[in-house]
Amino acid sequence: MNDASYKLKLRNFIEERFLLTFDEEFPENSDLFREGAMDSFGYVQLHRFIENEFGITFTEIDLSQGVLVSLTQIQDYVGRRLGQSTATDI
Amino acid sequence: MCGIAGFLASAHDPSRFVPQIGGMLARISHRGPDGAGAAVYDQGAIGAVRLSIVDVEHGDQPMCDPSGRMWIAYNGEVYNHVELRRALEARGCVFRTRCDTEVVLQAWLTWGPECLARLNGGFAFAILDTVSGQMVLARDRFGKRPLFYTRHQDSFLFASEMKAFLAVPDFQFRQDPVQLGSILAQWTPLPTQTGFEGVASLPPGSWMETGPAGTQIRLYTQLRFDVPPETDEAHAVARIRDSVHQSVALRLRSDVEVGVYLSGGLDSAIVAKAAANVTGTPPTTFSIAFDDRRLDESDAQTVMARALGGRHHTVRIAPGDIAADFATAVYHAEMPTFRSAFVPMYRLAALTRAHGIKVILSGEGADEAFLGYDLFKETLLRKAWASLDDTTRRSRLASLYPHLEHYGADDMVAITGLYQQFATERMPGLFSHELRFQNGRFAARLLRKGADPFAPLLANVADDPDFAALEPVQKAQWLEYQTLLPGYLLSTQGERMSLAHGVENRCPFLDPGVVEAAFASNLRFDDGFTEKRLLRKAFADDLPPEIVQRRKFPYRAPDAAAFRAGRPDWLETVLSEGELRKLPFLDHRFASALANKAMTRPLDQISTKEDQAFVFLLSIALLHRNFVMRETDTPAMPRMMLHDLRQSASHSQGNFASLT
Repeated sequence: MNDASYKLKLRNFIEERFLLTFDEEFPENSDLFREGAMDSFGYVQLHRFIENEFGITFTEIDLSQGVLVSLTQIQDYVGRRLGQSTATDI
Repeated sequence: MCGIAGFLASAHDPSRFVPQIGGMLARISHRGPDGAGAAVYDQGAIGAVRLSIVDVEHGDQPMCDPSGRMWIAYNGEVYNHVELRRALEARGCVFRTRCDTEVVLQAWLTWGPECLARLNGGFAFAILDTVSGQMVLARDRFGKRPLFYTRHQDSFLFASEMKAFLAVPDFQFRQDPVQLGSILAQWTPLPTQTGFEGVASLPPGSWMETGPAGTQIRLYTQLRFDVPPETDEAHAVARIRDSVHQSVALRLRSDVEVGVYLSGGLDSAIVAKAAANVTGTPPTTFSIAFDDRRLDESDAQTVMARALGGRHHTVRIAPGDIAADFATAVYHAEMPTFRSAFVPMYRLAALTRAHGIKVILSGEGADEAFLGYDLFKETLLRKAWASLDDTTRRSRLASLYPHLEHYGADDMVAITGLYQQFATERMPGLFSHELRFQNGRFAARLLRKGADPFAPLLANVADDPDFAALEPVQKAQWLEYQTLLPGYLLSTQGERMSLAHGVENRCPFLDPGVVEAAFASNLRFDDGFTEKRLLRKAFADDLPPEIVQRRKFPYRAPDAAAFRAGRPDWLETVLSEGELRKLPFLDHRFASALANKAMTRPLDQISTKEDQAFVFLLSIALLHRNFVMRETDTPAMPRMMLHDLRQSASHSQGNFASLT
């Protein structure tokens, strides 16, 4: 999976599920809780999606560090777990 | 029970007063189908439509004192009117009726504002001094009965329901995006909010005076958590049991039959059983059943109805029924609403009235007083989070929100991570509600970006000098008593639906004695994780074991699903781009995307927050049609007993009463 592919999948999932469009008004580093995009159900949906789509199993330590707060953080986390730099294709 | 309305209008032509008060009363005539009356004088008028419950023959309104100077228009019931009457008679008051209206008027004249804290009941009233021109408005402590006011040109207007203002010439409703943002965010209006510019609700537990001498609004009572604590569990249980029985006995005071709404849960079962204990006769009960088994509580209702042995009636609700009645119910509710569950209550009230019952008891208020909601457990858990081990965290999480699938075992890691992030306060004072308000933040996206939608609530919290010192779970209770209880449960889902059909609802768990008994006992003898443990214990021997042991089952109804099952003819229009653009404060892109998703995607992909925002959107759009665009029928003028106190009347014929 290349860099653009997983990033795009994450972006599309969040835009579709949370009814938003990332743009200048809603940048990718927006706090999805604070902006009213994500509630507890949305958080669990996102968690399930990442586990199923990318085969990533979260630890409670991961989640306690707030890795599912903004698209940027989510992409960084998934990139790390996929064993790559977010800037490098595999 | 009644509806009241009136105005002060010093510069107007008094010849316009009779049609104006008549038109205002006509708009709220559903609240009082048994009669209408008004007193008109040179600077204004007050009036009432009446639902006759106590002293059916002699309680016509408005009512004056023996001098003819002070006039009262009164809505509601003061249940301790018998005791107050005795106290007033001991001070020399002479009564002409058995009606509690006269007791309230005499209490005001005798004790002034200090009388208000003595009144145990649900009420709203206006007292007009026809000599000074001062008007007093007052409202009960928990916000059981409504009272709205506004200023228009040189007039001061008030009414039990805002729709009465539609009858005032040139009055124009305008939706207020700042208030709407606040309502969307915290799910319900704050005590003064209505969603309309310049129109206010008189806050629960407050009174207002206005007129030539100026205007003031003051609280006469507040929620007090600093009650002397119970120290013995057996005594606490006995006190709870006694206070509920006393409260029910007071609320059975009526000259007409009193029924009970039976939900299938613990609280209404206690009310019904206590009513049977007090009277020796099982009450007639009324319930809602749903075609959707996931929402239905028929089995528990049947168990309780059989145990009571009285007559039991049920209205069955299919999803399409909600769509069919939604617009009418929103017109009666007058407020943006976040769920559709108030619509079945509209049908339940119709069924109740069809069986000849004008007064019902119900279980609202128990969860707020006795920490029944999972929200309270969630607050306790999140507050203690850092001090708990993993096993305790998981076991307590597993006990929360059983109706929410994402709190299940499969998602425990995710929910644990979520709680970790919400274990510290982000919004000053609102810790308990921060997770819930995530749904509100989503709904607030219906509006164009503006001020922080939580700013009004944060200001309210900051304004209360005692709030900061409360325990987190008490803050949660305070917020519930300020928002969801008066702003939705007692109003949109409660009083407004009942009174749409001329049915008065009474809530024994809103008795000050019951609330104090609860506050004195909460968390003294348990950790709060066994739902309403002492209340259950207090009535364990009265109820079937299935009811005593039954876990709280949140009352819900189909939301978006209802509009998929039955598409009312207004739906396409309301959700059309052209119609939505008439609401300039909306974020049209988000509103359209939400409506499209709610109406087209598989229902299992519509989340609770999306359901909630969708119902908000529909109700805001319908309120725009009904109130801003005035797309409602104009009801016929009621036959009205008129007390004409105008100078023109006294010059020609003396003060007189006539039918108009």
